[in-house]
Amino acid sequence: MEIIVALKVVLDDQDIALASDGSLDTSRAHQVASLYDLNALEAAVQLAALEEGSRVTVLTVGGPEIDDSKLRKNILARGADELIMLLDEAARDWGSFETARALAAMIAKRGTWDLVVCGDGSADRFAQQVDVQLAAALDTLVFDAVVAWEWAGAQDGRLSLKRKLEDCEQTLACTLPLVVSVMPDIATPRICGMKEILAAGKKPVSVLTAAELALDLADIEKSGGATRFELIETRAPARQKRAARMYEAASSEGLRVFCAEAAALIG
Amino acid sequence: MDFSYTDEQELLIESIDEFVRRSMPDDLITRMYAEQSVPDELTRAYLEAGFALIGLPEEYGGVPCDRVTLGILTERFAHASGCLTPFLNNVLAVNDMIDFGNEEQIRLCLETYLEEGKPLFSLGFSEPGAGSDNASMSTVTRRQADGSFLLNGQKTWVTAGESLPNVLVAAKDEDPSPDNRSMSMWLVPRTTAGLSTSSLHKIGAEIMPFCEMFFDDVVLTEDMRVGVAGEGFKNLMKNYEMERCLIIAQCLGIAQAAMDDAAAYTGERETFGKPIISYQLIQQKLTDMEIALLNTRNLLYRTLWMIDTGQPVRIESALLKRYGAQACTQVASEALQIYGGLGFTTETRLGRIWKDCRGMEIAGGTNEIMVHIAGRQLARRYARK
Repeated sequence: MEIIVALKVVLDDQDIALASDGSLDTSRAHQVASLYDLNALEAAVQLAALEEGSRVTVLTVGGPEIDDSKLRKNILARGADELIMLLDEAARDWGSFETARALAAMIAKRGTWDLVVCGDGSADRFAQQVDVQLAAALDTLVFDAVVAWEWAGAQDGRLSLKRKLEDCEQTLACTLPLVVSVMPDIATPRICGMKEILAAGKKPVSVLTAAELALDLADIEKSGGATRFELIETRAPARQKRAARMYEAASSEGLRVFCAEAAALIG
Repeated sequence: MDFSYTDEQELLIESIDEFVRRSMPDDLITRMYAEQSVPDELTRAYLEAGFALIGLPEEYGGVPCDRVTLGILTERFAHASGCLTPFLNNVLAVNDMIDFGNEEQIRLCLETYLEEGKPLFSLGFSEPGAGSDNASMSTVTRRQADGSFLLNGQKTWVTAGESLPNVLVAAKDEDPSPDNRSMSMWLVPRTTAGLSTSSLHKIGAEIMPFCEMFFDDVVLTEDMRVGVAGEGFKNLMKNYEMERCLIIAQCLGIAQAAMDDAAAYTGERETFGKPIISYQLIQQKLTDMEIALLNTRNLLYRTLWMIDTGQPVRIESALLKRYGAQACTQVASEALQIYGGLGFTTETRLGRIWKDCRGMEIAGGTNEIMVHIAGRQLARRYARK
């Protein structure tokens, strides 16, 4: 089975500092794999293990700054066989429409595929759009909210999916090819062992540009709307300063003061 | 000089942090110290995550790595968890067997290790009258007319001696006198007739209990010998330097955890209406603690780098052990002091860390023995040419 995992590279939110004026300082933020996409990758690798000869290829799209040797190894140490990156200045601010188009072109260029796995949503925007738009571009079916799957083997050829919907759980079986997005519950990302970390540096990585994929950027960006808006600023809402008072809980007097002040605050 | 981590080392650190976050919650650590044992599930999880294989040769299923990386693994694991664990001792024991054992002994040992994450044996080297002074060891084997050997003597501070199924014993050949440097190593099942143990109760590092072990006419056969007859002393000496480095890597990790706690607390705790970090006495504590940690870290990784590059580290490992153990104990002690009365309770982990560090001023060679090792060598190194 040829499995593709669409993985977004985002800024590590733990490294994003909040300046006093509410603006976000991303200058020290590292590029990391989007959180839920790691669950998707783990699920894909576990599925691949059920069918001998299966391969897992990770695709990612972004600006040239997402190309980081540690990031590459981190992805490949998690069981993926290959990483293909579309790195282009134009891709830095792409939304889901542009990204889905680019992923579809990458998949077409790569050749045969059976299953595309997406995470539940990206850690930065969480638009949950790439899966459906990618399926549209690939002209195939898509199922989201998948929490479990079963593979009975190539002879049966159908992937059985369990979806967790708002008010019910749905189970269905579907022939491939197919696009799915999986909920984080489907698999817990593995802890990479040293052996896998060392092996990751030897796995194949391909880097493509939009030109090499013959993407018509002007057309894609126009259709996606990227040329029709300008991001003015991103600012955190004003925060109320916390009192952060410490009370000595070891003494009854300290506890009494705490209770009295808490009662006064609550009213 | 490049002090940065490689990609692989950074990823290893991330894996360790994630493992500790998932598998070693604070209440489990507290329970492990109280019960003086590590649950099998945790040992197995450590093995399954691949950490237990780091530093073992590839032909035995391991993942070989340089000593600097082994130091990073050890320090980070202790830092992330804030506690000691027997995992380091386990891999050192397996490496001892790989270095000295025959194929059958190595196979047996690795079968257990790769299945359970635990070594087949504890290490019975120290004696009440012979710690670092191995030549004074008096445990002895004497050859019998039928070709077997009788083992007599006593070992002490045998870590996990009452839980692991065998003990690797170092014993003099035929003659227990200090002049006799001929000794051998023997792999002895704990259930062998004549072998008995007695628990010892430590004031720290309770997660790794040790015991005394008595040998009273224990019958050994030639196939129980590990390594070449008479070369046990050489074997014993071989791994001491690396052991000292990794002991300090553990100390450094837990002392860093104490620093993390204390430094954060100085911004939270208020006296006289101000956070205590605004007082210069507290600032000086943090400053000196950080210097101690950095000095220890620099000495540690320089010594490991020297081992990796084939340089002798007899002096450096002794300097590191002497300085690092004391410096880390001091860091833990000052962290405890910063917490005041709260630090002297079991509500924080600082008391535990302090006790664990304090024990490392003794384990693997006392502060004083390190002077004995390094002092005369330094005089030679600096002698006028």
